[in-house]
This record gives sequence, structure tokens and C-alpha cells, in this order.
Amino acid sequence: MTEPEPLVIVIDDDAPTRETLSSLIRSVGLRVELFGSAQEFLKSEQLDAPGCLVLDIRLHGIGGLDLQGRLAAANIRIPIIFITGHGDIQMSVRAMKAGAIEFLTKPFRDQDLLDAIYVGLEKDRERRQREAEVAI
Amino acid sequence: MIPAGMPLAGSYDPLVVALSVVIAVAASYAALDLAGRVAAGKGWSFATWLTCGSLGMGVGIWSMHFTGMLAFSLPVPVSYYWPTVVLSYAVAVVAAALALYVASRKQMSSARAVGSGVVMGCGIAALHYLCMMAMQMAADFRFDFLLVALSVVLAIAFSYSALRLAFHFRDAKEEVAWRKLGSACVMATAICAMHYTGMAAATFTSSGTEPDLSHSVTVSSLGTTGIITVTLLVLGFAILSSIVDRRFHAQALELALTQTKVELARVGRATSLGELAASIAHEINQPIGAVANSASACLRWLATQPPNLEEARIAAARTVREATRAGEVITRIRALLKNEPPTKERVDLNEVIREVLTLAGNEIEKGRIAVTTALAADAPAVLGDRVQLQQVILNLITNAIAAMISVEDHPRELRIETVADSGTVQVSVQDSGVGLGHEDVEQLFRPFFTTKRGGMGMGLSISRSIIEAHGGRLWAAPRSGHGAVFQFNLPRADGAA
Repeated sequence: MTEPEPLVIVIDDDAPTRETLSSLIRSVGLRVELFGSAQEFLKSEQLDAPGCLVLDIRLHGIGGLDLQGRLAAANIRIPIIFITGHGDIQMSVRAMKAGAIEFLTKPFRDQDLLDAIYVGLEKDRERRQREAEVAI
Repeated sequence: MIPAGMPLAGSYDPLVVALSVVIAVAASYAALDLAGRVAAGKGWSFATWLTCGSLGMGVGIWSMHFTGMLAFSLPVPVSYYWPTVVLSYAVAVVAAALALYVASRKQMSSARAVGSGVVMGCGIAALHYLCMMAMQMAADFRFDFLLVALSVVLAIAFSYSALRLAFHFRDAKEEVAWRKLGSACVMATAICAMHYTGMAAATFTSSGTEPDLSHSVTVSSLGTTGIITVTLLVLGFAILSSIVDRRFHAQALELALTQTKVELARVGRATSLGELAASIAHEINQPIGAVANSASACLRWLATQPPNLEEARIAAARTVREATRAGEVITRIRALLKNEPPTKERVDLNEVIREVLTLAGNEIEKGRIAVTTALAADAPAVLGDRVQLQQVILNLITNAIAAMISVEDHPRELRIETVADSGTVQVSVQDSGVGLGHEDVEQLFRPFFTTKRGGMGMGLSISRSIIEAHGGRLWAAPRSGHGAVFQFNLPRADGAA
């Protein structure tokens, strides 16, 4: 069975930021899918796709931290990288405690984001492998 | 000696009767006034006002009746059995205490008003007849029970209305003093009606025997004058202290209110400044982040083998677009700050400085900072938004305080001056703090520049925007010796050139 190619999901309500991140992530050869809100993402078919999530903290409607909680409650353990316009310490602590890979404050260096994405993808791959082995 | 059984005709001294009416009015007015004080008091203050109020009012009620009795003279000498007189005073105090207590409660139900009115009325009637019983003379008296009953009914009616009126007036301001006085007159009329009905209920006949005069006192006209004088003094004192206490109370309340308002304004301003800074940060970080990342993406597309020129072009175009967007955000914020002051009122900068110093009083005290001011007495008003100018001065003062916190080797001095010249009013805020160092003074005014731990770096840049929007200038300079001087000027409101 061939592993499906991992997917980086970007959720940010600012369209230019979304496109920028898409371009950046694709430039290193990764697949990317964009969502403007958490609701859109929750309705999509991508919930359990292998990969990782790049998530804006401040979103209209369901916020980033909210979405993190909902995914955890639904036992969807996709690694999450948070990005934010202005992060406060409390938020970042909360996000990291809930298992986030990284908490980046805009403007961040492109390499920092890509490094975090690589870490996230690797973690996701390992987890899936472990689960597959257990299943066998 | 007048033979036994002879009816004795009494006569009234009109002057003393008139004085008893005056006492009744004063006592009623005091009662209306005191009820408010008792109601406003809590804990000790409540207990003190209730006790002193009851004793004072007791004097008033008792004295009115006793004076009324003294106004009445019989053809036989009359002396008074003093234990009964003392008892009658005690009854008066209890009735007064009941009245003040009931009238000072949060609510007065009809049942409570009627019940208390009956008890109080009976108390006053008891007081009246006790006073009569205290009379020791060579005469007997009989009562016309119809008139006695009428006097009791009048006493109850008076008590009920007094309670109602006291309850009504207790929270009233001083402006209604004349209405209170009117009510006091009505109450006094009721008291007098009750008293003189009670007196009329008795008919005196000579007993033909010498009265037992042990424990009795006669009251000379001098004594009558004394009682009246003391009573009026007591009531006057009660009313006066009540007025003083009310003023004091009102002032304390107003002070507390002002402080709350000032505090609220300060919090509001701090919050709005913080929120403004946060939203500016968010608005600007969004496009700036996109600029940096798009440019990086562009480089990465160019570095791929082979270079993906189409993606690189798109990324470069987005870089330009986002940089323009960042610029627009800044323009919008500047416009927002510049166009803000639609409210142009005459503002006395000296007054604003004093207000702000009060505001910052806590921090000044905590920082053990010596404040001196040299505010030009003739400084003319400027035109502007009071709150914004307050914000600027508060910002300069809090900056000055922050700059001095770490200073240990010389005094911490904050000096504020205003100077007026022909066209402008200039304010300078000097501190003996760490000074400006060698850095470019102008960078202090750039957004997000801060030397404070946890500072937003928005204070001075916003302050400058505000001052410039008011047609003035804000600048900084090192101070000779230690510290820094921040100065701004604003055009005078009268526009003198």
C-alpha cells in the first residue's frame, strides 16, 4: 500500500496571507490546501488526511484554539502549527500545552514555518506508522 | 386659701404659649431633618445619630408640653413632682427614638406606619398626661373624657403624619428646606392642637387642702425662660449638626464619585490605547508578514531547478501588493488620529495638568518623587479635545516617572511648567531620570519604539499625533544635569498673534 502524499492545510481568514503561505509551501514541493475559516475546514473531507495544519489563532467564528480543542475532542490528532498577528504569552502557553508543534508570531521567518511544518509532517507520519503496526 | 370645691379658672400667658409653638415648630423641623441623618448612617454613625437624635427630639417634645403647661396658670401655686417629670421626659425620648427608627428604615409599609403612629401617639399622650399628673397644688382636676379621647386621637394622627413626612423628607436635598419648614409648621399645629385639647380636657377645682410638696419643684418665670432657651439651643444644635453632617456627607459622596469617574476615565483611556496598539499591530503585521514571506517564496521559486518563473512572478507581484497594503494601513491610522478631534472646546492646560497630577498621585507617591509646578497664572486657554490633551500630559508624566524609578544617586524630581507667549501656550515636563542617552531623540516618537519593559511604544507617537492634530509641536531634549525635558506647545484659543 503506497502512502498518500502528505498535505499541509492552511486556515487563515486573510486571503493574501493564505496565498503567500501556499506559494511558500508549494515552493518546497509540498501539497497545500487553503481554508478561510475553521467551519469550511470542518465541512471538508480533509479532516483525517495525513499531514499537518497551519492555523491562525484569530479567526472569525470558531477561533484557532477552539478548533484545536474540537479536533482533540474528535480524536483527530493532526499536528498543529499556530500563527498569529500578535500573540500573547497566555495564548501560546495554552496552545503549546494542548500539543501544538509551534507558535509563530507574524511576521515570522519563512524557514521557521517550513521547519515547523517538517516537524509536524514527521510526527504525523510516525504516529500513523505506529498505529498501522498496532493494527497489524 | 380658696374653699374646697370652688372651680378654678386657669389663664394662659400668651408669650409662653407662643414660645411653646415655636418649640413645636423647631422640634418638628429637627425631627424631619434628623430622620434623614439616621437613615444615612450605618453602624456607629447610625447608633450615634439615633441616640443623640432621640435625646434631642425628646427634649423638644417634652419641652413643648411642659412649656405649654407652664403657660397655664391657676389662682393657686403649682409645683411639680419631679420624678414624674423625669419619667415624662423618658417617655418623650422613647417616642422620639421609635419615630426616628421607623422613619429611617428602608421601607415604610402602611401597617408599620399606622402601628408606630399609634404607639408613638399613645406615648405622646402619656407624656402629656404625666406632665399634668406631676402638678402639685391645692386643687383637683377632672377630665372630660371625650376631650381626652380627642387629644389621644390627635396625638396618633400627628404621630402618623410626622412619620410619613419624616420618611418622605429624609433623603431630600437642602433645596426643599422651605417645604420641610412648611411641613414642620403643620406638624407643630397638630402638636399644639393635641396639647391644648388635653389641657382643655381638665377642669380644676380647689381641693382646700395643702398639697404634699415633697420631691416637688416650683418653676419660676426664670425657670420657664431657662427651659425654653435650653430647648431651643438643643434643637438648634441638632438641626445645625444635621445640616453640617449632610453637607459633609454630600461632599464625601461627590468626592468619591469624582474619583471613580477619574479612575474610570483613566482605565478607559489605558484600555483604548492598549486596544488601539494591539489592533494596529494586528493590522500591520498581517501585510508585513505577507511581504516577508512572499519575497522568500519568490526567492525559493527562483532557486528551484529549473526556476519556476511564473510562481516567482506571482510571489513578487504579491510582495508589492502587500507592501502597498501595509502603507495604506498606516495612512489610515494616521488619518484616524489626525481627524479625530471634532470636539474643540476651550481647555485650560493648567487645570488639565492639576487633574493629571491627581491622577498620577499614587505613582508619584510610590516612586517617592518630588513634584514642583510653575504654572503661569495668566496662561490662556487653548482649543482642543480635553480628553486627548489629558492623555498626552498623562503620557508625559508617566514616562517621566518611569524614567526616574531606577534613579538612586540623586533626587527624583518632576517639574511641570506652563509658559504663555503671544501666540502659544507651552508646557514642559522635566524629570531627573535616566535621560535620553545618545540615541536619536526623534526615534522616541516612532511607533513601537520603547525602552520600557512591557511597553507598547505607542505613547509618544500617539501623543505627537494628537499635538500635531491640534496645530502644535511636541519635542524632547536632554536636561542639563540629569534627565530629560519633553515640551509641547499649542496655539492660544484667542488666536492672539
